[in-house]
Amino acid sequence: MKSKSLLAAMLLAGMICAVGLPGCKKSRPAVKPDEAFGAYDSEADWNDSTKSTNLGYQESQGKRIFYQYCVWCHADASPAGPSNRSNLTPVPPLLNDGEKLNGESDEFMQNIITLGGSALGKSAMMPPYGKTLTATEIKEVIAFTRAIAQPPYQKPGRPGSQYNAK
Amino acid sequence: MPAEDMGKLSYRMRLTFALATVLCVLVLAISPVKDFRAEWKHYKRSFVKFAQGRPDTKKLLADYNPKIDQIWLPGINVVDRCTTCHQGMTQASLADRSVPQPFRAHPSIPHNARDWGCTMCHRGQGPATEVAEAHETTLAWEQPILPAHYLQASCGSCHHQDLKETPQLARGRELLSRLNCQGCHKLSHIDQPSLGPDLSSVGYKVSREWIYKWLKEPRNVLDKDGNVTVTGYESGDESRMPQFRLKDEEIKALSGFLSGQKAKPIEAYKINPAVVAAWSKKPDLLPQAEVRFRQMMCTTCHPLAVTRAGETKLIGGNIAPELTKVGSKVNTEWLVAWLKNPQGYLAHTNMPKYGWSDEDLYQVSQYVMNKLTDPELLTGVPQLGAPTEDEIKLGKRLFTEKGCASCHGLQGISPQKEFGPDLTALGAKNASELEFGKAKIPHNLPAYIQAKLQDPVAVNPAARMPQYAWNAADLEAVTTALLSETGPKASSALQHLVIPKNEASFQAVGDFAEVYERYKCDACHRFNGYGGTLAPDLSYEGSRAQKKWIADFLKNPQTIRPTLILRMPQFNMTDREAAIAAEYLSMAVQKPDVNPENVNATQFTPAMVTMGKQLYEVKYQCQSCHTIGGSGGYVGPNLNNAGNWLTSAWIEAWLRSPQALQPDTIEPKRNFTDDEIRALTAYLMTLRAGGNPQAGKSAANAHPVAQGAGR
Repeated sequence: MKSKSLLAAMLLAGMICAVGLPGCKKSRPAVKPDEAFGAYDSEADWNDSTKSTNLGYQESQGKRIFYQYCVWCHADASPAGPSNRSNLTPVPPLLNDGEKLNGESDEFMQNIITLGGSALGKSAMMPPYGKTLTATEIKEVIAFTRAIAQPPYQKPGRPGSQYNAK
Repeated sequence: MPAEDMGKLSYRMRLTFALATVLCVLVLAISPVKDFRAEWKHYKRSFVKFAQGRPDTKKLLADYNPKIDQIWLPGINVVDRCTTCHQGMTQASLADRSVPQPFRAHPSIPHNARDWGCTMCHRGQGPATEVAEAHETTLAWEQPILPAHYLQASCGSCHHQDLKETPQLARGRELLSRLNCQGCHKLSHIDQPSLGPDLSSVGYKVSREWIYKWLKEPRNVLDKDGNVTVTGYESGDESRMPQFRLKDEEIKALSGFLSGQKAKPIEAYKINPAVVAAWSKKPDLLPQAEVRFRQMMCTTCHPLAVTRAGETKLIGGNIAPELTKVGSKVNTEWLVAWLKNPQGYLAHTNMPKYGWSDEDLYQVSQYVMNKLTDPELLTGVPQLGAPTEDEIKLGKRLFTEKGCASCHGLQGISPQKEFGPDLTALGAKNASELEFGKAKIPHNLPAYIQAKLQDPVAVNPAARMPQYAWNAADLEAVTTALLSETGPKASSALQHLVIPKNEASFQAVGDFAEVYERYKCDACHRFNGYGGTLAPDLSYEGSRAQKKWIADFLKNPQTIRPTLILRMPQFNMTDREAAIAAEYLSMAVQKPDVNPENVNATQFTPAMVTMGKQLYEVKYQCQSCHTIGGSGGYVGPNLNNAGNWLTSAWIEAWLRSPQALQPDTIEPKRNFTDDEIRALTAYLMTLRAGGNPQAGKSAANAHPVAQGAGR
């Protein structure tokens, strides 16, 4: 008799396991979005073509705008060949120059692109783009700058929360 | 039953009942426990914990809802529950990369997710509430999330007109047109295909051996090491001729058949014998001929491999065939006839009909035939001799069977209709509709398209599709463009979302039509959205340039942009042709609100000029981009001759808003006052580089070799 009830108990426990466990056991999905679905675009490292940086949507739009408007003076080669950098005094920084640009805040970058150099006491050779590009487009260029900066850019202030969703 | 037994029994019963009760409670608890542990609830709770760890907790949780969130847009068939887990989507403070998914904010895009949903762009399963079902291919769900680097495909399924934000899609569509994919496949909203050359008279142009070599290694004609090849791998362009998997006897048969194609005799042109006699004796014929070849600016359209400092690279334009070894390809008689009258051989060619002098024609053809050669080009090609009857018969059959007729015209042969599969709805196919064969690739649509493009037989051993040599970026671009071919919209509600392609056209009229047709202006220049992009857009040329300048320029084109060594070729136009073109361009292609007659140049005073110079040099430092005299930047056009070149109405309108005249110009719109605009215009109109444009000629000739293909 005792063994019978034990059996019944085991059967029921088995049922619980069979019905319930799949719901509990289901492993948390190991989806790493950036890896699984890829980056929107990428940009090869300016000094080492074997390396590249993944770009999100905003950064990739920044890349497009950079290669249309900024590349002429803020890179060592332009789509037409020679760069215009050497014609300018003071020589404009390369866009990936982290040592120069990482220290500048996003607000400063937004201002100098929008208002031009002379409005911020810098070279008048940097023209204002505030009436040509939208504020969003300028933010996108800044995001691209941050993404390709060498040495890499660290966001200032309070570090991002280390909390992980998993 | 004895009483003590009953007691015993009731004890057992009670025990059984107790156990059963406990078990029942446990069983009944399964469902709520499972429900509590549902994947989406886990993310709901995680978000609360996550938000509590951030300074703006209150804002993050302002519209928190513990239930399933969904975006329901019945008008456009959207039921998306993605926001159930992706809860930070609209929170600006969660935009940073360090924010873990699924909580990161969506970047700001032109469409608001609340109005469009998520799956419209990302695909995947909107109603699903489990991670795997929403994102991946499972047994029940066949539309996985579109990997981010193909996302522009979704833009393309509604935007048939190219957008500036989707360069990858635009490149893919350009390739689909350039490689004439529509020769075999049906595609929608792709530009008119560009056909390969008509082969009706190819027997007059090249030898059977050359055809053999070309069919065998179409993308290896230049360099056996693959350093500079016509694949364009190095030049950034795909070879338009793919490689067909042909057996040796098939190549022999096709080369035999094609070398016999002589439908229309070439219009042989006899260069004046006196010219030939005088030039052929000169010891420096070829060096002089080289100079002339460069002066003709063939490389403005044709790529050419040059070796400088030990490095070989392709220079020049990309809208015409590469010329590096063309001297080992064509015969002299054909070349002279071709240069004299290209349309006489190939009616559909974009090559302009130059006004050649016999001297130029002799020098250039001698240079091409003697210097642009490779004696080893046909090494390894057997001496084929005259083809046999059987070879010709087989060749003719193969020409249609292999799909050659889909790209190349040939008199007497019409292409097979619907040679390849219809691809207009390829981008909407489910994985179960695709044949993966033995290919070891993920079973989803993007992987299938990529594999098929890369190696057609890997997916289907019986595929007729030839082999293209893609570079990685172009492969992704073409895949994106094909993914955007999602076919007609399922419902009329969705049909309303489609933004159709602008069909641009330009019709030259009157006397100008003849000049336009002869010099193929639209091969390089754009008129109202129609035409090439190699050279400046001429839609508003009549507002921009002075009539006399246009006529002088056409007679003697000079580059206006300091970094461009490529320039418009000198066509040797007659005075009459130049005058007709100048008259037409200055009168007929204007921007209505920029009328040169509206600005009176006499209003400019010396004081305004002085102020303008001051503004140019000090306040706005225009020299960072523009050159005047010998100094200044390379970005904008040289302004040395602005006073003879531009109209003052154009300069004023341009300074007011460059983008109103040329939407993609990089010159920023400034805050000039009206006085400043007038002063700058007055100053620029004083800049005149001598009356005679011929003066600049020697300077241009000092660097005749094109160094870059920039525009």
